[in-house]
Amino acid sequence: MFWHNFKYTLKNLLKNKPLIFWTFAFPLILGNLFFLAFQDIEKKEQLEIFNIAIVEKEKTDHTQILKNAYMTFSEGESELFHIEYVSQEKAEDLLSDKEIIGYVILSENPKVVVSKNGIEETILKTVTESIVEEISLATTIQKEKIIDGLSKPEFDGNIEFLKIQVQKEVEEILKNTTVSLKDNSPTNLSYTMVEFYTLIAMTCLYGGMLTMTSINNNLANMCSTGKRIAVAPTKKRNVIFSSVLASFLVQLLGLALLFIYTIFVLNVDYGNKIFFIFLLSILGSLAGVALGCIIATLLKTNENTKIGILLAVTMSGSFFSGMMGITMKYQIDKNIPIINYLNPANMITDGLYSLYYYQTNTKFYFNVISLLIFSALLIILSIEELRRQKYDSI
Amino acid sequence: MIVFKTFLKVLNKNKGIILLYTLILLIFAYFNMENGETTTNFYAEKTDIYILLEDENIGLTKNLVDYLKSVSLVKEIKEEKLEDALFYRDVSMIIKIPKNYRIDTLNGINREIEIQSTGDYTASLEKMLLEKYLRIQKIYLNEQLEETKVIEQINETLNKKVTVELTSTLDRSSLSKAKLYFNFSNYAILAGLVFVICLMLTIFKEEKIKKRTLVSSLNYKKYNRILFLSNGLFTIILWLLYVLLGFVLIGKTMLSYHGLFFMINSFIFSMCALSIALLIGNVSQNKEALSGIVNVVALGSSFLCGAFVPMEFLPKSVVKISHVLPSYWFIKNNDLISNLEQISLKEVHPIITNFAILIGFIIIFSIGTNLISKKKLKQS
Repeated sequence: MFWHNFKYTLKNLLKNKPLIFWTFAFPLILGNLFFLAFQDIEKKEQLEIFNIAIVEKEKTDHTQILKNAYMTFSEGESELFHIEYVSQEKAEDLLSDKEIIGYVILSENPKVVVSKNGIEETILKTVTESIVEEISLATTIQKEKIIDGLSKPEFDGNIEFLKIQVQKEVEEILKNTTVSLKDNSPTNLSYTMVEFYTLIAMTCLYGGMLTMTSINNNLANMCSTGKRIAVAPTKKRNVIFSSVLASFLVQLLGLALLFIYTIFVLNVDYGNKIFFIFLLSILGSLAGVALGCIIATLLKTNENTKIGILLAVTMSGSFFSGMMGITMKYQIDKNIPIINYLNPANMITDGLYSLYYYQTNTKFYFNVISLLIFSALLIILSIEELRRQKYDSI
Repeated sequence: MIVFKTFLKVLNKNKGIILLYTLILLIFAYFNMENGETTTNFYAEKTDIYILLEDENIGLTKNLVDYLKSVSLVKEIKEEKLEDALFYRDVSMIIKIPKNYRIDTLNGINREIEIQSTGDYTASLEKMLLEKYLRIQKIYLNEQLEETKVIEQINETLNKKVTVELTSTLDRSSLSKAKLYFNFSNYAILAGLVFVICLMLTIFKEEKIKKRTLVSSLNYKKYNRILFLSNGLFTIILWLLYVLLGFVLIGKTMLSYHGLFFMINSFIFSMCALSIALLIGNVSQNKEALSGIVNVVALGSSFLCGAFVPMEFLPKSVVKISHVLPSYWFIKNNDLISNLEQISLKEVHPIITNFAILIGFIIIFSIGTNLISKKKLKQS
């Protein structure tokens, strides 16, 4: 009886087109969309070289120094922008046509003209400020050095010579003073990975629909097959267990398809801890099965309402675990962590995230245990509900 | 009237789905309203950072911290949550000032500041500002000046400000809010409208009902016209609902010429969504497949055309492909409208062109619907 029911549950599930669409095809479609929409997003968040213009309104002592200073930002490794030297009218036209992000009017006090607020505009302002500060810095040091030089016994009375000497010295100082920062930035910072993790979580929980459908087929209050099974002289334990096993298998098939597709077609790099990822995904699917079981058994309502509730639980879980924007997961984790401690979608997403980002596996094991407890609790409750069900009439 | 009454009955049964999409739109809009201060002056962008201070907060160290506070937004985060904060871009940089930094630096020992950054443009800006400060500090320290004098000179040097002129008088913050709202409405309109209208059509085209209508005395053309008008009325009501929601969430901007253009754009797009719905409703009569088709159409166009992820962040190839979808022209128009400086032929021309393209889509979809329904009518 066990294998008989197992075989027919498998057949039934695989022939149910809408069910197969939602558990097999929909995650793949969503994966494709994520891939297309997010593949460049992180690259484009890095600073790109932009265009600016410089307008020489009046020639001052500083004009050439200023021009040289801007040049240092438009070449070499630290290139920030391309410069065009134009008249003010031309600069205004370029700005209104969005060809440049802003222009600088060179004068005693340089002025920056931009059309909007933004990061590139702020960088242009910061660079200009740095240049002005550099000139001020040079002037201050020169002054100090000249005063110093005047009071030295070896000073021969030639102030012009001293000035030139000091100027050269200061130029050397400015040129040769560099600073370095110790950059300890982590390498695994791709947040689009979390989107794929939420997709895995959603697929695991969507699998609950398969379990729910197969259990519904065995319930006397749901369909005529269920009524016939209820009066059949067979152990209900075997029937239910074989149905759940068959749906778990179909669910794992869907999950395997998602992994194969994302790894080989979309080239998603899950890192080198693939065994742990599979383990967590299988446990996630178990949680999906448990969720399907509890909704199928505990709620005494029609199939559509049950599907609606399962979808609502899955989608809200995915939402809180960051599917519609990863910031949501962070905000919930930070401000209302209890929601995500109880959220099976987050247990899966967070487990995968901790494998990807953290050096230690503590958080991963925490999520594994959470999933086990969640699944066990729901399955025990479902068994309690299903045991010794009898109907006098139905 | 019978057709219209039935239409209303079915609509009433499906109010849940419309409310659901409206709710999603509301939630999304709410999250985008968070940082919405009105501004028409230039303000420098500030990077979100965290300062991990291990040194005593006095002298040189304090001055560095004060400087960082003045040029960035320093966040308060629990230390155990720092790693997550960096990953989720709550902060773009963590700056660690090591123990004895001040003493060692004053004694000429090179103590490097440790950073952890996300590597994005705000982090690059912060790095630039930090390096600038440290370089100035180093130059003054090399001049063998005393600590208080060094601090004084650093602050004096950094006090040089540059005038920034903002040419545009547009309230960008409020306009970008409106743009985000209408871009997202692409999903809400497509999903809500297409789902409900397709559902209506499948119900009206159910084999038994269709046959009863065909043999009834009701003129077939009139029946079709009423059905079309009812769907059109529903489209207008849904559009009005989203526009009203826009007034509540966006406010004053909706009363400007920008608001008017946003409204016209979304109206034409709603009509386009209606024509898509009629086409899908005629192609597929399967109620079970409906939610699948609607989700693929709505999510697909929204992801590929920049409703969720701004168009400038999408790969060029995706943007090219998305030209064949009406959502692209709707979202592109939202972008153009939000940048509209004044009503001039030069600036309004591309918007009008996009309106025309959207109307072109409506015509194509309508012709397609007619051809298919004619074919199906002959078959039946």
